[in-house]
Amino acid sequence: MSGGRTSSSGSRGQPAALRQRCRAAQRSTGVSLLINGCFALLLGSAGPCFAASNNVRITGLTDVAFGTVANLSADAVQSQSLCLYANTASNGYNVRASGSGAGGTFSLSSGADELPFEVQWNGTAGQSSGTQLAANVALSGLTTAATQQTCNSGPAVSASLVVILRSAALSSASAGSYNGSLTLLIGPE
Amino acid sequence: MKTLFRGAAATAVIMALTGGTAANAATQGTQGATSTGSVAVSVSVPNRVQLSGLTDVAFTNQDPSVAAADAQNVCVWSNTSTRGYNVNASGSGTAGAFTLANASLTVPYAVEWAGSSGLTSGTALTSGTALTGLTSTATNATCSAGPATTASLIVKIAAADLQSMQAATSYTGTLTLVVAPE
Repeated sequence: MSGGRTSSSGSRGQPAALRQRCRAAQRSTGVSLLINGCFALLLGSAGPCFAASNNVRITGLTDVAFGTVANLSADAVQSQSLCLYANTASNGYNVRASGSGAGGTFSLSSGADELPFEVQWNGTAGQSSGTQLAANVALSGLTTAATQQTCNSGPAVSASLVVILRSAALSSASAGSYNGSLTLLIGPE
Repeated sequence: MKTLFRGAAATAVIMALTGGTAANAATQGTQGATSTGSVAVSVSVPNRVQLSGLTDVAFTNQDPSVAAADAQNVCVWSNTSTRGYNVNASGSGTAGAFTLANASLTVPYAVEWAGSSGLTSGTALTSGTALTGLTSTATNATCSAGPATTASLIVKIAAADLQSMQAATSYTGTLTLVVAPE
């Protein structure tokens, strides 16, 4: 799934690699057409360079299954490392999370019973804690180390998603099976 | 005459796995100006109960002509759909009998349970036999929110039994309560 932000024109906002390719193209010829990554139409050395849009991609997600929580007096925590790719100049991105509860809240349900959960994000892989996310509010200022959109080269994972069921919520919940979903929307920065 | 209980409590845990809906597979984002992924989140909360708020029962310098009784309010929490539970009591006497002792001297006592707090009488418990069909109003495992107490534990010593006790002698014992979800 992806949204439809329009691409930027010229070199502003391009990844460094694209800008370098544009500059090289501008130096090498008066009229250039680059297809792979940078589409440039130049008249002399001062012409514009049209780059691919800022792109992001999130992959490597796995379902969060806590199973049966034996100890309701302790927090239940599930963390996973995933691939977050951003091709912006700074490799920056933001993440906005929403749950399947009312208004996008982070809440699981079992019939009429609700069980809230918390979501944290860490811009580094392999972490079991991070910055608390509020539902429908973007966490910005993140950067990624990924160099390939699905992390099949370079770092295999680049961020951590942490889901927490607090003991207070667990010990107040009625017995049962609770289900829900968590949606993560990534935007470039 | 001094009679002293050392109270003890135990919580029983019975776990029941409840069937759940199969989780949807996670969806991965595609490359674009934005990218969206999603995961299913699931958890199973088993049946649990907790007994808390117990205090020791101490009858001190008890007048043997007057029956002794002590009632205390306790917290019983159950997370089942009915908030139901049962309670099974046993004493430290032979085969779990409700008796206090000082060496070879013993005296019986009675235990009652009420499913509401603030009561001075309830249903008599038999050692080793669960009293079933109880429900709790607790909304928090330790009653730190919602009702502060939800049940009553009553311990009694009949006047006749007090009169059988040796003066200036401390009788002690332990009462254990096992609570299980229903």
